[in-house]
Amino acid sequence: MAKYHIQGGLAGKILRVDLSDGRIWTEETAKYAERWIGGRAINSYILFNEIDPGTRWFDPENLLIFGAGALVGTSLGANRMSIETKNVFNNGKGSANVGGHFAAELKYAGFDHVVVSGKAETPVYLWISDGKAELRDAGALWGKTTYETEEMLQRELGDRGIRVACIGPAGERLVRGSLILVDRAKAAGGSGVGCVMGSKNLKALAVRGHGSIEVADPQAFLDASGLALRKVKASPTSKPMWKDTLSGTYYSDPMTPSWDLLYVVRNGQDDYWEVEKRKRIMDPESGVPGYRKKVLACFNCPIGCMPFFEINEGKYRGTRGEGFWVNTLMSAAMLDIAEPDVMLKAWLLMNDLGLDADFAVGMIAWAYECYEKGLLTQKEVDGLQLEWGNSDALITMIEKLAYREGIGDFLAEGPVAASKKLGKGSDYYTIHMKGQPTIEPFRIPKGWALAVATSPVAGRHLRGATLGSSRFGPRGASFEPHVYEDQAKYVYWQGLTKEIEDLTGICVYVGTWSGARALEVSDYAALLNSVMGLNLTEEALMRMARQGRNLEKAFNTLHTNMGRQDDLPPRRYMEEPVKSGPYKGHRCDREKWDEMLDEFYELYGWDKETGLQTRTCLEELDMHDVAERLGKAGRLVGE
Amino acid sequence: MKILRDANLCHGCRACEVMCSFHHRRAFSPEWSSIRVVRDNATGGISWSLDPTTCDMCEGEEQAFCVSYCPYEALRRGS
Repeated sequence: MAKYHIQGGLAGKILRVDLSDGRIWTEETAKYAERWIGGRAINSYILFNEIDPGTRWFDPENLLIFGAGALVGTSLGANRMSIETKNVFNNGKGSANVGGHFAAELKYAGFDHVVVSGKAETPVYLWISDGKAELRDAGALWGKTTYETEEMLQRELGDRGIRVACIGPAGERLVRGSLILVDRAKAAGGSGVGCVMGSKNLKALAVRGHGSIEVADPQAFLDASGLALRKVKASPTSKPMWKDTLSGTYYSDPMTPSWDLLYVVRNGQDDYWEVEKRKRIMDPESGVPGYRKKVLACFNCPIGCMPFFEINEGKYRGTRGEGFWVNTLMSAAMLDIAEPDVMLKAWLLMNDLGLDADFAVGMIAWAYECYEKGLLTQKEVDGLQLEWGNSDALITMIEKLAYREGIGDFLAEGPVAASKKLGKGSDYYTIHMKGQPTIEPFRIPKGWALAVATSPVAGRHLRGATLGSSRFGPRGASFEPHVYEDQAKYVYWQGLTKEIEDLTGICVYVGTWSGARALEVSDYAALLNSVMGLNLTEEALMRMARQGRNLEKAFNTLHTNMGRQDDLPPRRYMEEPVKSGPYKGHRCDREKWDEMLDEFYELYGWDKETGLQTRTCLEELDMHDVAERLGKAGRLVGE
Repeated sequence: MKILRDANLCHGCRACEVMCSFHHRRAFSPEWSSIRVVRDNATGGISWSLDPTTCDMCEGEEQAFCVSYCPYEALRRGS
């Protein structure tokens, strides 16, 4: 097993906090970094090692782990933090990843990771400052929104430089799809990480750091970061991102092909959204861009992509805040609401109340469809008229969901529980992967769908989805988003580069993700080597990426019964074809999906029949301890 | 000579602050930086300031790091 001698880049300590008895202690990051480098890989290893399979997400024994990427606080583009815990939707791997300025502050405060165990008797927050940490009473913060929480903590602690990661009312009430919000805008949304935080009675982490991060080879760092910056500046997508961004949707032209590939409409009734509606929401003057006041950046990010909005007229006058994502547009299509001010209001409200938007929109769109189909009556939805396009009802539904009022309480438990309770065949209309709602497209972009379906953290697109070919990607493979052939190769490659990005903390937008054409794996190697004093090759990094992904897979195998059957698309998308638009007739063809899955498993060395790992595959990656644990549990294929 | 900022171009990323500390100490710490960037998440406001008593215009470096590493070309040397 490779053992890396780390000479820079890390803050050096992992903070451990047991909320049950209030104990706080530290350990050396090097103990983990010498094998896993940093970020999500270290989080995943701690989670894999320290939680028993019988543990449920709400048990005090569950861990909530925050981990800054290894390069955060040093290299341009590195600011991201991974959050790992048990997934509230399936008890498997829960993972969310977030940018902003929190992770860098954490490292300057002396910590690379924070591992939270136990459950506090009464609400608390964790105050981390310059190598020290303490738990403080959060009685006054409980019940407050995320915006209010940041405001109150900065005031109480008397410093605007304090960075806050917190939950809102939704997380406190254990709404499954609750988020942890950083900097009032950056959402760690998936897997219900905010719900786990709520279950631990932990309202917030507040951090301030005045320390420093060493770099192993300063001259090599200047060379590597100089080259990296030149690449970012030369990328055709960088400037549109930081100049005209709507957070990843720099293709604001309604006729851009991605609009035909990415948007799921009315809870999956169709995958084509009318051009008139696209124009309405994206009009440069009267659409979302008209409300944009400025564009902000995450820590040390060269392609800052976060727009700050203010609504100065109409019903939502006074609404202001940062954030509008490609998922905001996906949400608009899913709900068939083409009103820009409403979608902005809805998005900022979900952040403020602590709701993950993909979850909330997925559940609300399902309720709209059940209402349309007569499966939910007007009385059952608290007298609302859940007709497609009813935007007032959307805002009310978001509030109900966050506070678990009426119909919101029913939806808060997630798609599997809600449809089981409702019955009447309503489960057909729940669009979820592995129990977590997904608003992602499946029927048209085949590789995108494969990535979403195979994501170890259930139905999200960042683990390998891509809409375009890449000048760095697999060689000798053709890329057509709407065909099945060769897509597995791209998904495999894109998923691996994301693993590297998440151990460094470099954002995908600065890196290799679809559309962003700046940094590549050789840059990650050069930056890691100069900062940490290592000698990693691209091949070595790609191998570490396979280790990271296998670690997550192993966690799911050990903690759930998930296998190949859970990597298939939602039933609706296999049965119902797209009804209109240029891709009319497309659906998920079971036979071709199976071929694509076969190829994907083969690339990872997983068993095709079950989708699970073999001893050989893990031992080839020097993951003997992981193989041993799976073997003992009887969860290795062929044993 | 001093460093001038165009507030309209600045995204508040703090690259200048970080690289300034790298000039002073060949390590990273906003504390050692001559530049302070404070963001107000509520308003989207960015306050930027430079301490002229510690800024040496990156003496010894090829260029002033804050200028050359600003991705948005928001900083320049001027008087």
